Amino acid sequence: MDKKLYGLMAEFDSATELVDAARATRDAGYRKTDAFSPFPIHDIDEALGIKRSILPVLVFFGGITGLLLGISLQVFVHYIDYPLNIGGRPYLSWISFVPPAYELTILLAGFTAVFGMLFLNGLPRPYHPVFNVPRFALATREKFFLLIESADEIYDYDDTKGFLEGLKPQEVFDVEE
Amino acid sequence: MAENYNAPAELNKFRTIALGVGGIGLIVWAAGTYFHLEQGLRSWLLGFIFWGGITIGGIGVTMLQYLTGGAWGVVIRRIVEAASRVLPLVFLMWLPLAFGITHLYEWTHLPPDDFTVIGRGAYQTPMWWVIRGLIYFALFGVMVYLLNTWSANQDKSADHEEAARWLGKATAFSGPTMVIYVLVISFATVDWVMSLDPHWFSTIWGLLFVVGWALSTFCFSVLMLAWLGDRAPFNRVLGKRHLHDIGKLILALVMVWAYFNFSQLLIIYSGNIPEETGWYLTRMTPGWFWIGMILILFHFAFPFLFLLKQDWKKNIRMLSSIAIFILLIRLVDMFFLISPMPRIAEHGGSLVLSQSFSWLDIVGPIAVGGIWLWYFFGQLMKRPLVPVMDPFLEKAIEHGQGH
Repeated sequence: MDKKLYGLMAEFDSATELVDAARATRDAGYRKTDAFSPFPIHDIDEALGIKRSILPVLVFFGGITGLLLGISLQVFVHYIDYPLNIGGRPYLSWISFVPPAYELTILLAGFTAVFGMLFLNGLPRPYHPVFNVPRFALATREKFFLLIESADEIYDYDDTKGFLEGLKPQEVFDVEE
Repeated sequence: MAENYNAPAELNKFRTIALGVGGIGLIVWAAGTYFHLEQGLRSWLLGFIFWGGITIGGIGVTMLQYLTGGAWGVVIRRIVEAASRVLPLVFLMWLPLAFGITHLYEWTHLPPDDFTVIGRGAYQTPMWWVIRGLIYFALFGVMVYLLNTWSANQDKSADHEEAARWLGKATAFSGPTMVIYVLVISFATVDWVMSLDPHWFSTIWGLLFVVGWALSTFCFSVLMLAWLGDRAPFNRVLGKRHLHDIGKLILALVMVWAYFNFSQLLIIYSGNIPEETGWYLTRMTPGWFWIGMILILFHFAFPFLFLLKQDWKKNIRMLSSIAIFILLIRLVDMFFLISPMPRIAEHGGSLVLSQSFSWLDIVGPIAVGGIWLWYFFGQLMKRPLVPVMDPFLEKAIEHGQGH
């Protein structure tokens, strides 16, 4: 035990086993946990107690910003800065303003979704300790992994290892920092 | 599979109430119509388009859920099928319009040198209007008959494999028929509603109804789910995920409704040619303008923002509240399309809102709606509330229980 560990990781064969193990881990009081699977598992957020992302709220305000930006841009251009008579219509032809304002709403909402997702996920991130476990590459193919970080309050190498082994995984790995 | 999925017997009580309300409404409507025939027929048309739309929308949603698959379709299939089986009654409700055609449609009184009379020839004659109406109902009738017969056969299947064959048949039928369905609606709504103003035309007209009727059908189904989900046997079936999925579809349809209506407005506004702008000029005069604003705010903006929230889509109280709200505003939308149209009594002129709105516009939809609901509840009770032999039933129920 000289090396400092990032955490302990257990490997499972199926999504059901992973979800059951995640529930047990949460019930045992672990909070700094994570799960890895080749495909999205609906129940895993609830099993690990992961809070819902605030991304939708950010996207909503991104969209509102785009909408206001689109309207004010057109009001400024067509009404304040350079009023132009287009086919005898009023300068404030709000009907014609809708498509560009709508497009800007979508654009900023889309940008917020993509960049907000990257930011909230902590990406880009060139290095992560979990890749120190060679078998972790299988997380993108057919295996399911559950991680308990050593930063967790009730983490203790021997206890936690014993606990993970009690969940009947294929194998438990030390994840080096 | 021995579970009993029959509709709760309490529905009988609602049948009686619906018939009573509809019957009284019908008498009051008939009395009012006796004194003011044109207004009476127009209010009847309002009720016919609103409630008939849920029946015709029911055909579309039945086919849609076969085509897309998914748990929400298994859950609402029997409700929308029952709505589609109200078609014979909707046909009877169409007859007053056919018999009163010369008191409802201005084009039956146009002078022979009017350009639409010359240009449209026999197409714009009462006889061909009626013949086309019969064809629309015949086509809808074939769809309702086949879809419902196959669905009933599926219930009688001996095993899942036989049931899956009926499912495959209905799915294969739904694809091409969906195209015909949209075309028939397009022709029918041009005849029934758009021709109230013979000198105006819009090519997106039919789609306004395809989308609007699908929206009405989903909202009506949510109300049925809210009631059924509180009771056995449906409380074993309905889950939050089903509501979430249907909520998302309602959100999408609210957006498409706004998209199509706005497309029509933007193109006419940009084109700015006299043949087209009249329709909006009438609706931009003081009273009507505010109805238009109410529609933008409460047929689009408010339901759109409301339905963005995931928790409210999953909550049956919230979802059914917005569904009732959308159904009411759908009626306002139909009123906005129908009521300002040119009137025979005004020699082709439109009325301002205060003169145009009649108490018959409330009685008409109530009369039609009461009788429609009476027939609908009867149809709903005839079959199990879920397709009991559907191979995906177990999966669909399981899907709903997640988060």
